[in-house]
Amino acid sequence: MNVVVRADAAPAAPARRRRRFSRDFLLGAGTLAAFVLLWKLVHASGLFPPWAFPAPEQVVTAFVKTLRSGELLTNTWASVERQVVGVVLAAVAGIPGGLLLGASPAFRAALLPICRMIYPIPGIAWIPLAILWFGIGFKSTVFVIFFTGIWPILFNTMAGVSTLDGQYTDVARVYLAPRMFYVRRVLIPGSLPFIITGIRLTYGVGWRVIVGAEMISSITGLGFMIDDARWQLRPDVMVAGMITIAMIGWIMENWAFDWLERVTIERWGMKSQPR
Amino acid sequence: MVEIEALAKRYEVDGSDIVALAGIDIRIDEGEFVCLLGPSGCGKSTLLKIVAGLIRPSGGAIRIAGRPVTGPGPDRAVVFQDYALFPWMTVADNVEFGLEARGVAPARRHAVSAELLRAVGLADFAAKYPHHLSGGMKQRVSIARALAVEPVLLLMDEPFGALDAQTRYVMQQELLRIWRQYRKTVLFVTHSIEEALYLGDRVLVMTARPGRIKAEIRVASPRPRDIGGIDFAALRRQALDLLSEEIARSLEQEARAASL
Repeated sequence: MNVVVRADAAPAAPARRRRRFSRDFLLGAGTLAAFVLLWKLVHASGLFPPWAFPAPEQVVTAFVKTLRSGELLTNTWASVERQVVGVVLAAVAGIPGGLLLGASPAFRAALLPICRMIYPIPGIAWIPLAILWFGIGFKSTVFVIFFTGIWPILFNTMAGVSTLDGQYTDVARVYLAPRMFYVRRVLIPGSLPFIITGIRLTYGVGWRVIVGAEMISSITGLGFMIDDARWQLRPDVMVAGMITIAMIGWIMENWAFDWLERVTIERWGMKSQPR
Repeated sequence: MVEIEALAKRYEVDGSDIVALAGIDIRIDEGEFVCLLGPSGCGKSTLLKIVAGLIRPSGGAIRIAGRPVTGPGPDRAVVFQDYALFPWMTVADNVEFGLEARGVAPARRHAVSAELLRAVGLADFAAKYPHHLSGGMKQRVSIARALAVEPVLLLMDEPFGALDAQTRYVMQQELLRIWRQYRKTVLFVTHSIEEALYLGDRVLVMTARPGRIKAEIRVASPRPRDIGGIDFAALRRQALDLLSEEIARSLEQEARAASL
């Protein structure tokens, strides 16, 4: 009898989850619709002059138009390319750096003070110097993303190493794991929940700073497109650019990083709370 | 043969010297199953970790087959209380960890893990991750991982302490079967009198801190043992008396430390 009851009970959980998912989806979509409606109402009220406040449908038109002309795609691609290169560079430097800082007290003593001094400098503050060094365009923007983005990944990786269960290290020692083998098979995967959080944050701050950087030091990119629309009094293009940024951020957060977690730490049962 | 001579461990806490272990002398013959029984905080796990080479002693010496212990070595493997499996590795990869660390070729490694997983009854779980397994199954994997490196001495640190009573009993029988099959020397730490008497050829009862060997109980009866039976009553009584004194002293120490 017990077995029968269990077999019945098992599929109930996913069904409930699906029902909750659709309810949550409706709630989210409803709020979004209400927001667009409010936006439309504010526009219709004439509270703001039309050259400073676009209607939702104007934004849609601007979106379609810039998409058709290729302006939107070229600029999006320019931003995404800088973003990806900047984040990858930050990860390539930040992950090994964080591993070293976490594993070696000497490295921490030597490097942590200077890191803590540079870290509070906002990414935007690097832009003028970056322009002097690299000129306008790709390199200076990537430099700014790198210097803004390296901190979360560096500090998170460090935290991951220092909070790694000491018993894992004991096991590695008992079974005579050589140093690099230990790093590859124990230290990195064991710190992965922190490393992924670090990359998430790095991606987030990078994407936030890129628009500012492009407004000042670039003639392409979504930041440039938004800033350029100011001179043409085209708030609809500005908002279309902003929405594009939001969508790319949403896709990365909900698909790329969630996927990365699903195939690693979730599969290993290392994710602490289900979100 | 394992020889532990005049082993001592002191450490410093907030400027005051604490003696964890003092004057430990133990000899373990090859193939012998020895249980270390003691109240919590008596240093029995510390002693095990010193034998494993994970902690340095403050004094004394350990020799295994005549060779002095200065750190972890290929002649020893440890089974930890909370399994200490790597969640990011499959069951098979966990079992092969020690071999992979030693650079054993993949084909050879897989053969070893397949054989050992069959021996502990987990052949169908090779590709699973540890978080899919129950506590008892995890500990079987941990035992298989230890056996994979073919140690002379198997060190077990309260390996069944986190398991429920039934699973614990099954695992004790399992362990005896494995011990007979693979002919290892075992040093087994526990705080359970029943477990110690059920498993060990000898039971070494430790004192409260500083940990010393207080008494040795030889368990001559053949296995499988019925420790609830009448002939075990005297041994249980003896072990309980020895241990109760130490538990009382250990509680006293804790109370004194808490009132400071």
